[in-house]
Amino acid sequence: MSKEGVLLLVAQRGGSLLSFVGKLWQHPQGRLGLILAGCLVLVAILSPILAPYDPYDVTQRAAKGLRPSWQHLLGTTTTTGQDIFSMLIYGSRVSLPIGIGTGVAIAFLGAVMGVMAGYLGGFVDNLIMRVVDILLVIPTLPLIIVLTSLFGRSYFVIVLVFVIFGWPGLARVIRSLVLVLKNTNYVKAAELAGASRWYIMTKHILPGTSHLIIMNTALTSAGIMVAEAGLSFLGLGDPTAISWGKMLAEAQGGGALLFGAWWWIIAPGIGIFLSVFSFMRIGIAMEEIFNPRMKASSSIYKLFKHLNNTYLDEVFRSMEEEESVVREPPDRSDAPTPEGCHG
Amino acid sequence: MKRSYLIKRILYAVFIFFVVLTLNFFIPRIGVHDPAERYYPPQGGMSDIEYEIIKQFTREQYGFDVSTFQQYVRYLRGLLRFDLGTSLRPGSPKVTALIGQRLPWTLVLSVSTLVISLVTGLLFGTMAAWKRGRWQDTLLLNASTISVALPSFFIALMLSFYLGFRLELFPAYTNPNMVAQFHWSWDAIRMVFTNAALPIMSMSLGGIISYSQTTRNSVIAVTNEDYVVTARAKGLSQATVLYKHVLRNALLPLATRIGMNIGGLIGGAIIIEQVFNWPGMGTLFLEASSTKDYPLMMGIMLFLSAFAILANLVTELLYVILDPRVTVGEKR
Repeated sequence: MSKEGVLLLVAQRGGSLLSFVGKLWQHPQGRLGLILAGCLVLVAILSPILAPYDPYDVTQRAAKGLRPSWQHLLGTTTTTGQDIFSMLIYGSRVSLPIGIGTGVAIAFLGAVMGVMAGYLGGFVDNLIMRVVDILLVIPTLPLIIVLTSLFGRSYFVIVLVFVIFGWPGLARVIRSLVLVLKNTNYVKAAELAGASRWYIMTKHILPGTSHLIIMNTALTSAGIMVAEAGLSFLGLGDPTAISWGKMLAEAQGGGALLFGAWWWIIAPGIGIFLSVFSFMRIGIAMEEIFNPRMKASSSIYKLFKHLNNTYLDEVFRSMEEEESVVREPPDRSDAPTPEGCHG
Repeated sequence: MKRSYLIKRILYAVFIFFVVLTLNFFIPRIGVHDPAERYYPPQGGMSDIEYEIIKQFTREQYGFDVSTFQQYVRYLRGLLRFDLGTSLRPGSPKVTALIGQRLPWTLVLSVSTLVISLVTGLLFGTMAAWKRGRWQDTLLLNASTISVALPSFFIALMLSFYLGFRLELFPAYTNPNMVAQFHWSWDAIRMVFTNAALPIMSMSLGGIISYSQTTRNSVIAVTNEDYVVTARAKGLSQATVLYKHVLRNALLPLATRIGMNIGGLIGGAIIIEQVFNWPGMGTLFLEASSTKDYPLMMGIMLFLSAFAILANLVTELLYVILDPRVTVGEKR
C-alpha cells in the first residue's frame, strides 16, 4: 500500500470529538489516561474544598519541617511551615490550565496554518513554510527568559511564546496530510461541483486531519506541562502563584536537600509525573487507535523531540518509515479501504 | 545538481540567520522609546537631571545617539568582526569574551552527556530490538514512558539528594572554586569530572532512553528488510548479520538524531546548570537575565540560534551524503 493509502486510511478513521472519547475509553491505556486526567481536572476545580490547609499560609512557625503524618499528609515545608499536600493540590491550578490551554491554542493555530499552506499552496504555502523554518531554529527557552525580563514574569508571556513557537511542528505534519487529501476524489468532486475553497477546507479537509490535531493536542499538553514546570523552577512564572516547578525551586532554595526533607521534593514530582503521564497516555492511545501500524514507542520518542525543541516533521516522517518497512497487512482487517469511503 | 543543492541550502541558512539576527536586534527595543532606559532603568533616589545625564552617557556608550537604522548597520558590521557588543557588567567586558569563558564548561557537560547517551543508548537499543517482546524490551518501553513524564531537573534534584547528600558519593553542588583552581593536570581534570558527575548523570538519563528508543525502532525496521532475511537464510552467524547487515543501516536515522540534538547541545543545559550551579552558558544566561544585561542576553541568544542553524544545515547535508537513496531537491 502506498504512503497516500495509509494516510487516507488513517484520515478516514476520524469523527466527532465525542466518538474520539468513546474510542479512547475502549482502549485500556486511553482509559487509564482519561481517568487520571479527569481526576486531575476535578482536583484543580475543587482545590479550595479538597485542600485541608491554606497553602498560602506562611505563618505556621510551630509546624516547620514536619514529616508526613495524618495531620499533614505530605509534611510541611522547612522554611515557612506550609502544608505540602495543600500546595500540591493548588499546583494543579497552574499546570493543567497552561498545559491544556496552550495545547488547544497550538492545535488551532497549527491546523489553520497547515490546512492553508497545504490546500491553498503557492505563495501562502511558501510564506507559511518559511516562517516555520525560522521559528523552528529560535531557541524557545532562552527567548522566554529574555521576554520575561522585558515584560515581567507572568504565565501570559510563557503561554504566548509556547503558542507562537509551538505551532510550526503541527503545521508541517498537517500540511503533509492535506497535500494527500487534496488529491482525493471527493475533494476533486467538491471542487468540480463549485464548492468554495473555504467550504472545502472546513468541510472536507479539516475533518480528515482531526485525529492528528487531537492526538497532537494531548502530546503537546504533556510536553508543555514539563516545560512549564521547568520555567517555574527557574522562577519565570507568576511569583504569587503556587506551581509544582516553583515548589521544587523553593525546596532547593529552602534547604530541603540539606535537611533531608525528601517529602518536599517528591510531592511536586508526583504532581508533574501524574499530569504529564495521563496526557501522554491519551496521546499514545489515540495514536494506536488511529494508526495501528505505529508502535507505541515511536510517540514517546516524538515527545522527546518535542521537548528538545526539534519537533520538525517527525510525526509524518515516522509514518513514512513505518510504512516503507512493515510489509504485513494492517493489524485491523476490518479497516475501511480508501476507495470504499467517500464520506 | 549536487553542488547547486549545496549552495541553495547554505544560502537559505544564511537567510534564516539574517532574519534571526534582525529579530535579535529589535527585541530589546520593543516597547521603549529610548533603549537607554532599558539598558539603565531608573533607580530610586535619583533626580531627573541625574538620570538624564546617565541616560545621555549610556546613549553615547552604547551608540543609541544615532538613528535606529544606523545602529542596525553598526550592529551588522560588528557581527562581521565577531563582535557581539559589550556587557553591562562592571568593567564592560566583551560579550564574546564572556561566552568564550563559559562555553568550555558547558561543553564538558553536553559532550560527555552526548557520548554517554549515544554509546549506552546504542547498546540498550540494539539489545531491546534483538530481544524484541521479551523483558529487556518491555523494560525499555516502561522506562521511557516513566522518564519522559519526569522532568530532568526533578531527576537532578533526586540524584543530588540521594547520591550527593545522603550517600556523599559525588559533590551535590558544583565547587565554586572549580574554575579558579583549574589548571591542566590530571588531578584538576578529575576534580572537574567529579563535580560534573551528577549533572551529566541527570542529563544522560533521558538521552540514553531516547537514543535507545531510536536505535530499537530503526534496528527493528531494518531487521524486516529482505536483505537481512537473505543473510540469515544464507546461514550467516547472528553476530555477522547484526553488525554487518543490520546495525550499519540502522545507524542512519540515528545520525539525524545526533545532528538535531547537537543543535540543542549548548542551550539545553540551562535548567540542569542552574540546579547544580554549574558555571556554564546556562547560568551565564540566567545571570544576564536577572541583572537585565540585554547585550549579553541577546549575544547568547544569537550564538545559540547560529549554532542551531549550523547544526541543522550540517545534518541536512550529511543526510544527503550518507543516504544515497535520498533524492536531492525533490523534497519541500
